[in-house]
Amino acid sequence: MVKIRYLIIVLLIVVMGISAIFFFSPGEQKKVKKQFALLSEDVSKDPSENTFIMAKKIKGISALFSESCEFEVPGYSLSGIYTREEISAIALRGRAHFSNLDLKFYDFKISFPEKDLAQVNVTGRLIGKSVYGEQVDETRELECLLKKVEKKWLFSQLEVVEVLKR
Amino acid sequence: MLKNKEDLTGNKQQGRATGDKVRQFFLPPFTIRFFIRIVLIALAAYLFFSYLFLPLRIKGNSMEPTFRSGEINFCWRLRYLFSKPKRQDVVVVRFAGNKVMLLKRVVALEGEVVEFRDGKLFVNERRMEEPYVRYPCNWTLSPRQVEEDCVYVVGDNRNMPIENHYFGQASLKRIMGGPLW
Repeated sequence: MVKIRYLIIVLLIVVMGISAIFFFSPGEQKKVKKQFALLSEDVSKDPSENTFIMAKKIKGISALFSESCEFEVPGYSLSGIYTREEISAIALRGRAHFSNLDLKFYDFKISFPEKDLAQVNVTGRLIGKSVYGEQVDETRELECLLKKVEKKWLFSQLEVVEVLKR
Repeated sequence: MLKNKEDLTGNKQQGRATGDKVRQFFLPPFTIRFFIRIVLIALAAYLFFSYLFLPLRIKGNSMEPTFRSGEINFCWRLRYLFSKPKRQDVVVVRFAGNKVMLLKRVVALEGEVVEFRDGKLFVNERRMEEPYVRYPCNWTLSPRQVEEDCVYVVGDNRNMPIENHYFGQASLKRIMGGPLW
């Protein structure tokens, strides 16, 4: 009985060890996911946000994109190729419409069709309140391409998938 | 007197035995059999709630008054295993996965022409009765045909500008099932 107990404890320790190695190892999938976490953090806005934080976040957003990024977002007149500067301006204008914003990503499906290229299918949910007090709750499926440039995964294409077609 | 003492001792022993049984039930000895039982229960619960009955927490008011924000439900995954969704069925539509999904009602099937005239739903030029729509609606949408392997879904709450309501045709591949109740 005692032997079995020790065996179970050893087994549990081994499982926990393997999980810890897996959890802390910086795999490519994790690095890609981290870019989404950073995007979510920088797009999100707190009502008490000051100019310094705002500038830092806008800079953070532009740093997540490659030199040029292709957008296909029907319904928001956002389609075409945009430079980092243009993305910063769009982000600045967009965030100014809201008093608070919260962007979250769910259900990541990450694949690597080529070397240094990641294809991500994900659900994005944006909840916020406009400066006029209007509640916003939008969920969309996104198809993104990220390129690895100097060991950094950068967004190079972002397309909204049409789940419900009018 | 002696008999009473024996009764007391008997009651004490009976109480101790019950206590042991309760302890045994809630804190059983950690044996291999107990460990296997725990693992099997956890595995069964995982499979049950991941593949058969997906727990749902409804957020938003697009299906009011049929489903209210904050309600709890389950998505029954096998609902459309052997059949296709029918008109007026409430379905669960997925995005990239099953963490965030849409709850909508099927109003038209593949090949049918759907249209809104002054808030009234028309399918193939026929006015449809919709007892589940309780709030006023003034939508106008030009006629459009539902594509193959798709269904047209709309929320029950149409008391909002048409631009603010997320609806349209969804591929049957995106239908995850229906709410359990």
